Amino acid sequence: MRKLAWMAAALAVLALGQAQAQTPRKGGTIRFSAPYSASLNSLDIHTTPRAQDDIVGKALNRSLYSWDSAAGKVVLELAKSVSVSADGLVYTYKLRDDAYFHNGRKMTADDIIWSYSRILDSSRGFPGVRYIRIIKGAAEVEKGQTKEISGLRKIDDFTLEMTLADRVEPGYYLFNGTTAILPKEEESRLNSHPIGLGPFKFVEHIPGSRVVAERWEKFYKPGKPYADRFVLLMMPEAAARDLAFRSKEIDTSILGPAQYVVYRNDPELSKGILEVAEMFTRSMQFNPAYKPFSDKRVRQAINYAVDTDLIIKRLVKDKAYRATSWLPSASPAFDKSIKPYPYDPEKAKKLLAEAGYPNGFEFEITTSANESWGLPIVEAMIPMLAKVGIKMKPKMVEVTVLTEVAMKGEHQAFIGSSLTGPDSLATLLCFYSKTPRTACNYTGFNDPAFDKLIDEAGQAVDQAKRNDLLRQANNLIFEAAPVWFFNYNKAVMAYQPWIHGLQANPTELTHQYVEDVWVDERSPAK
Amino acid sequence: MKFRANLYIGGAFFATAVIVGVLAPVIATHDPVFDANLMNAELPPGWEYPFGTDAQGRDIYSRVVHGARISLTVGLVAQCINSIIGVSLGLTAGYWGGWWDDLVSGLTNLMLAIPSLIFALAIMAILGPGLVSLLIALGLTSWSYSCRLARAQVLSLKSQGYVQAAKILGYSDLRIMFTQLLPNILGPLIVIATLGAGGSILAEAALSFLGLGIRPPYPSWGSMLSDAREQITTAPWLSIFPGLAIFITVLGLNLLGDGLRDILDPQSRERTS
Amino acid sequence: MLAVLLRRLLNIIPTVGAVILVIFLLFSVIPGSFTSTGAEDGRMLDPQVMERMRKEMGLDDPILERFGRYVGHTLVGDLGKSFRTREPVTKLIGDRLWPSLKLAIAAMCFAILVGVPLGFIAALRPGSIVDSVSMVGAVSGLSLPQFWLGLMLMYLFGLLLGWLPSFGYGDGGPRYLILPALALGFNPMALLARTTRAAVLDVLNADFVRTARSKGMAETRVVTWHVMRNALVLVITTIGLQFGSLMGAAVVVEKLFSWPGLGSLLVDSVFQRDIPAVQGCILVIVLFFLVINTLVDLAYAVIDPRIRYA
Repeated sequence: MRKLAWMAAALAVLALGQAQAQTPRKGGTIRFSAPYSASLNSLDIHTTPRAQDDIVGKALNRSLYSWDSAAGKVVLELAKSVSVSADGLVYTYKLRDDAYFHNGRKMTADDIIWSYSRILDSSRGFPGVRYIRIIKGAAEVEKGQTKEISGLRKIDDFTLEMTLADRVEPGYYLFNGTTAILPKEEESRLNSHPIGLGPFKFVEHIPGSRVVAERWEKFYKPGKPYADRFVLLMMPEAAARDLAFRSKEIDTSILGPAQYVVYRNDPELSKGILEVAEMFTRSMQFNPAYKPFSDKRVRQAINYAVDTDLIIKRLVKDKAYRATSWLPSASPAFDKSIKPYPYDPEKAKKLLAEAGYPNGFEFEITTSANESWGLPIVEAMIPMLAKVGIKMKPKMVEVTVLTEVAMKGEHQAFIGSSLTGPDSLATLLCFYSKTPRTACNYTGFNDPAFDKLIDEAGQAVDQAKRNDLLRQANNLIFEAAPVWFFNYNKAVMAYQPWIHGLQANPTELTHQYVEDVWVDERSPAK
Repeated sequence: MKFRANLYIGGAFFATAVIVGVLAPVIATHDPVFDANLMNAELPPGWEYPFGTDAQGRDIYSRVVHGARISLTVGLVAQCINSIIGVSLGLTAGYWGGWWDDLVSGLTNLMLAIPSLIFALAIMAILGPGLVSLLIALGLTSWSYSCRLARAQVLSLKSQGYVQAAKILGYSDLRIMFTQLLPNILGPLIVIATLGAGGSILAEAALSFLGLGIRPPYPSWGSMLSDAREQITTAPWLSIFPGLAIFITVLGLNLLGDGLRDILDPQSRERTS
Repeated sequence: MLAVLLRRLLNIIPTVGAVILVIFLLFSVIPGSFTSTGAEDGRMLDPQVMERMRKEMGLDDPILERFGRYVGHTLVGDLGKSFRTREPVTKLIGDRLWPSLKLAIAAMCFAILVGVPLGFIAALRPGSIVDSVSMVGAVSGLSLPQFWLGLMLMYLFGLLLGWLPSFGYGDGGPRYLILPALALGFNPMALLARTTRAAVLDVLNADFVRTARSKGMAETRVVTWHVMRNALVLVITTIGLQFGSLMGAAVVVEKLFSWPGLGSLLVDSVFQRDIPAVQGCILVIVLFFLVINTLVDLAYAVIDPRIRYA
């Protein structure tokens, strides 16, 4: 025992030594690259649901909660403490009294109330609505019946009481960038010159090229941010991003499968790779309206017929984790004992024969061109399915059309990626029979046993009990196979040796809380 | 008669591409789509796979060979559609004149003003990626040059004796246009069409790059090249061979066009552009 | 002169009208809509939010109403509000216009400065090595996919040699301009070289040059004086046509180099179904083409007073 304690002490000293060697440098410029599109939709973060826009949003704005990647959970950001009532419905926040907007004004409870009310504005479509809706009275504001959210009450400038409509963990909802707290007096210029609570203050935006921000001196975390400047460079073209990263013009780059394997095998580049299991599940979703897919055995047969491990290893280059259920492995409701469908063409043939398709059948799969969950995957599956007699014909569309096809239910099957976290209950609701197809029940899943589990989980106050119910529900989906379970995304970011403090954020790797990021002297940026 | 290097070299390049395309099923060693084996993914060129294999483990040689069919189809069919539209509009506009001529001229100006790549991009977005959409998109968007050319030529030929004679003989308008006028203006139009076919192959590559190209089941050179762009430094064989195929074919068509111009269209060097 | 200018400008109007009609029709039948594009990688919008957005943007109004609104606004110079940014499209385009123009001008300068002398030299010694090499080189440039050429330039000058930034707009400085301008300018350069060569050859063989030579004018004066002026008309036509279409042709290069021009705005807007922005971009690109061509027509009149307008 004493030995153990001694070892722990030694380890602590070691860790301290390392920490000292890594004293963050003040100054320098952080140069992130934005991989998803050539431009931002908006700097007014309330108006835009796109992941790309929130990369810069994380530098400029703050929400009530934030995601702590080290702890793997949501934590309070703009509040110092919170107390929860016994029934789990009333949250009383003690807000920060040292948070300043970039215009110099101190944040108060009124700003939170105004921001949430703005998001609910019934005349405009703000994507954050679905998160604010957890607050009692939000639905009435959304419908335009009243202006005030009845569930939000200001007790004093720095105390806010929030009553929830349902028993959920509000952090999962209110950490999203689209629910950031913004100042009312700046509303008219939030897009052209955003003002927020974040660690960096907006300087310039060249649409289609870059956003520049500088250190906000009155940021509430002492000593932070470290860097003087934050620059986000738009670089949707992966080939160009690769060349720019190698010529040291950017500090970070998101890697696709092809580059991942190259970077991993490069002695220099492999030193700067950050990997994280993101909360996205990639799958081929079957439409039961197409007759063969109404039979569970057919859907299972496809799961047996595809050599999923081989596709992940050889085509996706291990830039993914095999999906062993709908919920990702980071979910508390994830069942670690569950085994994936093995590759077993014989079993698949047997199941098909039992279902009445001894000679297989033909179906059309709607797919996008995406390299991780689109056409290349389909192309690799075609010969595998052909071996059990299933003829799969790809129909390629753009992502926007794919979404509409899925919502209208005009497809036989489609392949895509679904956000499956961080809230497990909200994720599983996509298979709840009362969830309409337009919301996210693309498989038209309808199973009374599943519905019952979800209903009970929604009522459960005890966290362990709730997780247990969700685990059962998740396993039920795995068995019923409304989808072909493909993988959980492994997001990979390459970073230069001079950049430190990057976080392995599983909700979206590009979303970095940049006040913790710093660059050392080796950075070539001015 | 001087040796027309560009005519012969261009012709040889283009003929090679056509022969490869025609013989594709015979000379390909693997199936370009279904012979995918992920165990063989991204092998460099070797004995079994002379051009290497792609990310799905398919033989690049066989895909390039089959790609000739797709890419040449795109180039030639799209250009044929363009020529047919352009020539029939130009011919009739020049011959009949009047309100029809005004209408066609207006339409030509419109087509010239909207860049054809952007027009094609819009059509591809509407019809969705695929071979037929591509043929429509490229076939409908760049006929303005041949239309202008046909019209201008007809205007200059219309008053010539043999056309007037045919009129007096009571030939129908269509007969005059197709038997008297068309053969006499064909030369320069063929030149334009040859150059345009190369342009269509490149346009297919550009659309693939923009994410709206042709897609499965069979490969085109443009989509192969575009898919391989991320590995330009690390697995160059993925891009070198389809890139070379495009380069040789389009270069062949361009040289052929230049060479044909000297023969078929000797007076009109001005129209080089 | 002014009358000619006015008449030419009036001629543009029907074309612009037709363009407005065509782009409206095209983008009213396009599948997919803005509300379902934020959804890549599973971040789907709430159905009620989608509906609200559709209402806010007037996406579900009858087509005639939308058309009337669109035409009415366009006529007074209002290109509508972008779906993505919820800002006026004119502002979006305004932000991109200067980078786009800069790129087009730089590319054209490169094309002219290299292409014209190249064609000229080739024409002076037809059939020589210089001639063959320069012409095959030019045609080769026409035979490469543009994105490929751009990637090669990036690879060579950005990574291997490290002389130039490989992407982006930076602070707008000239160093960032060079590579995209080269990639964009290569095609017009090759065309110009060919045109110049052909034009010069034609003029060299024309009667008046022979006359001048036989009268004993020094070779250099013959070349520079008569030849240049007569070939100029043709070269300028080509320059005009090429320059006018350069903004539209820049789509690929802008996307590759992350250049913040109209082309990249257009592509982004098409993929996100930001229809007002798409229509605005196309309209501006078309206007640019038409205006440049009108100016070229006027330039004829200055260079060669014999040309008059029918």
